[in-house]
Amino acid sequence: MSGPLVSMKGLERHYHMASGTVRALDGIDLEINEGERIILLGPSGSGKTTLLNCISALDSPTGGSYSFDGSPVPTEDSEEMTSFRRDNIGYVFQFFNLLQDLTVLENITLIQELAGGRDEARARQLLDLVGLSEEVDRFPAEISGGQQQRVAIARSLAKKPRLLLGDELTGNLDSTTSAMVMEVLVKACEAEGITCVFVTHDESLVEYSTRVVRLDSGKIVSDDPIG
Amino acid sequence: MSSLLTKRLARSLLKRKLMLFAVVSMIAVGLFAGISFGTYANSVHNLYDNIYADEEDGVNLADIWVENTASTWDGDTADSLCSDIAQNWTDSEIPLISCEPRVVLDGLMFHIEQGEERLVPAVWHGIDEGQIDKVWMPDHDCCSGRLAAADDEIVLDEHAASGMDIVVGDTVSIGAGHGSMNFTVVGIGYHPYHLYYAFEGSILPAESGTFVTGYLSDSGIERLTNLSAGSANLLLLDVQGTPEYDLQSTEQNEGESLSQAISNVRQTVMEGDGASFIAYDRSGISSVEFLRADAEGASMTYPIITGMIAMVAGITIFLSLQRLIQSQAREIAILRTLGVPRSAILPGFILAPLAIGLAGSSIGIILGVAFGGPAMVAMYEDIIGIPAIGFSTEPSLILQNLGIAMTVVLIAGLKPAYEASSIQPLDILRGQNEVRISSRGIQRLTSRLPTTVGLTVRSSVRKPMRLIFTFFAVGLSMLIFGTMTMMMDSMEDLVSGANQNWDAQVNVPFGGEGAVIEWAEDNDVIYETMLVFPGNAEGDTRQFLAYGLDIISTADDAMIPIELVDGILPEPGAEIPEVLVDEGTMLFLEWEVGQIQTIMFGPFSLEVEITGVTRGEVTRTIYLHRSDLSGAIGLEATSVLLSLPDDVELDDEIGEMSIGITQRQDMIDSFDSLLEKQQGIYNAILGLGILIAVAVLSITLLMNLSERDSELATLRVLGASMSRIRMMMLGEHFAIGLIGGILSAVFTVVMAQYLISQLVQWAFYFTLQPNFASTLQLILVVVVISVLSTPIGTSRVGKMDLVEKVKDLSQ
Repeated sequence: MSGPLVSMKGLERHYHMASGTVRALDGIDLEINEGERIILLGPSGSGKTTLLNCISALDSPTGGSYSFDGSPVPTEDSEEMTSFRRDNIGYVFQFFNLLQDLTVLENITLIQELAGGRDEARARQLLDLVGLSEEVDRFPAEISGGQQQRVAIARSLAKKPRLLLGDELTGNLDSTTSAMVMEVLVKACEAEGITCVFVTHDESLVEYSTRVVRLDSGKIVSDDPIG
Repeated sequence: MSSLLTKRLARSLLKRKLMLFAVVSMIAVGLFAGISFGTYANSVHNLYDNIYADEEDGVNLADIWVENTASTWDGDTADSLCSDIAQNWTDSEIPLISCEPRVVLDGLMFHIEQGEERLVPAVWHGIDEGQIDKVWMPDHDCCSGRLAAADDEIVLDEHAASGMDIVVGDTVSIGAGHGSMNFTVVGIGYHPYHLYYAFEGSILPAESGTFVTGYLSDSGIERLTNLSAGSANLLLLDVQGTPEYDLQSTEQNEGESLSQAISNVRQTVMEGDGASFIAYDRSGISSVEFLRADAEGASMTYPIITGMIAMVAGITIFLSLQRLIQSQAREIAILRTLGVPRSAILPGFILAPLAIGLAGSSIGIILGVAFGGPAMVAMYEDIIGIPAIGFSTEPSLILQNLGIAMTVVLIAGLKPAYEASSIQPLDILRGQNEVRISSRGIQRLTSRLPTTVGLTVRSSVRKPMRLIFTFFAVGLSMLIFGTMTMMMDSMEDLVSGANQNWDAQVNVPFGGEGAVIEWAEDNDVIYETMLVFPGNAEGDTRQFLAYGLDIISTADDAMIPIELVDGILPEPGAEIPEVLVDEGTMLFLEWEVGQIQTIMFGPFSLEVEITGVTRGEVTRTIYLHRSDLSGAIGLEATSVLLSLPDDVELDDEIGEMSIGITQRQDMIDSFDSLLEKQQGIYNAILGLGILIAVAVLSITLLMNLSERDSELATLRVLGASMSRIRMMMLGEHFAIGLIGGILSAVFTVVMAQYLISQLVQWAFYFTLQPNFASTLQLILVVVVISVLSTPIGTSRVGKMDLVEKVKDLSQ
């Protein structure tokens, strides 16, 4: 591939409220290349999560253009948007959101099944990668928060996404566990060759990224490579 | 308690219109059913008491009947027997008021219908003094005219008159084995023996125009039957007041005094006359006993049905309030965090179900009083064919039902209210309230299945207690109409005579079978003679009918095929006559196969050996070879069964030689007619059961879905397509429906059999035989209800704002 994985030009997401128009994203120009690990930083209401939602095709921009791997990303049809997510995007949530009725291993094979093919060997390999090969048959409620987040990371990698997104993925963890989770995540993404975009308030996570994009009032105010 | 908090809860409740509607409807249905069935039960009870009362408006039902089963007494003998009975009467607690001889005989009406003559089986009464067992002519549109006085006058029963379009002033042609004669109809009314209007020995009400009874003067019946003046085959004894009598539905003897009096009367008659006779109390009059059993059955079933619906309503309220608390958990947690005490949360959650209960109860009471009660009573009038004079819904019934409903509502609301007030704010705000360890056993069971299927199964059984409650409630709602369906299926074979192979049963006067047999042979008609005689076990007053058959066979092509469920068929001519006994009689008399028992046929006793047990008889029956029965009572036959070829019809000739002809097709038509009349209530009960099941299942499934909001949102965000979600939900709902359906069907079969076993009695016994089709129908109903709620779930997921959900998931 020669072009960027993600290309956004003049991207807008405006909400029309009774009190006026809220410009959550106001002309975002952003390109993300494969293999990058980008951290989106900014104060509350700066548009970080909205940008993440637009990247993952959960939300539809109201203006501008957005292409993924050179092709326009669907913005109207919810099933096409779902299909885009299924084929390309991995997602890690702050509260892990593992399915409580499934074991650690099954939480991963479920995502594989939804993507079209169960591959238990790969699921076990991913759990090994995140250091949870001993916990495969445990239920989420039987392991710690940090372990659950690592399962969530393994789950998001299970279908080999092109782009992994995380919204405050360490927001529910203490600093030691956060560091451990981020190390696992970086290791896994490098091993799998996956591009990452994370939203966070935590400046300390900058060390795990290759690029930091800062937003304020729906605009990019800085975009700096790390190292 | 803060009124603002209550207002907040009320607004939250009002936002959940569907749930509110379901719960209010459920309570309304409970009250509606309770008041409707209660009104019915009370009305039939009052009607029974009023009609048979020893009062001016009542019929002054006799207390003891002495029936000559073989012939008639002449006037002198009848008077002498009455005189002897009066002289030998010893009981001062129940003094004898009067003894009235009467003639009651089977016969025929030669009725012209659309230009063709029709032979209608009949019973003719000759009424002399008419102070006991009076013709009932209430001040109502049903009845008119006066009693018969001259020897060519007749009062026709209203059931027959309305069915045959006969009015006062018409002339009818009737017979009783001695040709036909014309009588003028001078009145239309009812008779206590025929209030429940059915053929002798049948539990089905006769269809209009297929059965007739008439009440003649004593001179009228003597003219019709060629009897001498004063003849009688029935002595009616009336004692002071209405004494207790031995109820057939209980083990103990409630009327010991009356039983003793009957025993004395029996002794007196036996000494005074050698004829075959039986003496009995009102339980021996089938119509009276049937109406009593119906009233008793209504009184027994009404609390059961009301209780079942109340229980289902309670479960629904319980589940709904849990659902409400679940949806309110975050708000309650915030309130608690802001310092609102438990005591301020609790009252609102207790008041809410009471308010819902009151609303539902009010609707149910209004509908029950205005429509349900009158509709049930109208159905009773339609089926039984008598006016339910003076029926009303008593305030005590309304209060009783309201009390039950509000108690159930309060109990059902207590636990959810306690749960609401006990919410731990931190658990809710951290989302810890939803975290729990799944069942390892279920995980192992489903571990080899595809993960999506495993998830479906595990989600289905995530809340086992709630699921059990749901299945129980669905089972109860299915029971309401499942019992009805199964009972109808079982009854159809039993009472319609569909499995029998005779076309006409020609009743003959004693010794009159020869002429009918000759007619049959002349017309190439296949026939069998039959001897039917009432009997009772020695030491037991309850009557059964002994059927003496020429051929006792289990073959499908037998005139009366026997369903033998235990033992072997009897052999004729055994030293101790061998008999088959129906399972109801076996149960009530605690008899066993192989035992030798003594049976009383009037004054005659007969030792018999029980060789087998039969099934399929609603009324109590024993079978033995006709020759054996004949040897015991000295009679040859009481009827001839005919299987008519296509080109042979019953004619005047056979009509005039018989004392009544029952046509099997009439019985089948009667059953069909009964079914048709009951179709409305049957459909209503069917719909009621389904509606309740829909409400209960929907609430549970919606609760399941709402609990899985974050799970389903996660799946959607991670790329699960709607079609995949649909399949998962469909699978889950199908699984719940199937398990619920099977459990409901099993529950229904077991409970229906139990209920029937509690309701059956001597006069009316049958076992419920669930067939595959009706069981499958029950399962399918639940599966369909469950599966049909899938679109509600998928629509909910489809409408989910994933952006908002992701915010929830990430914050």
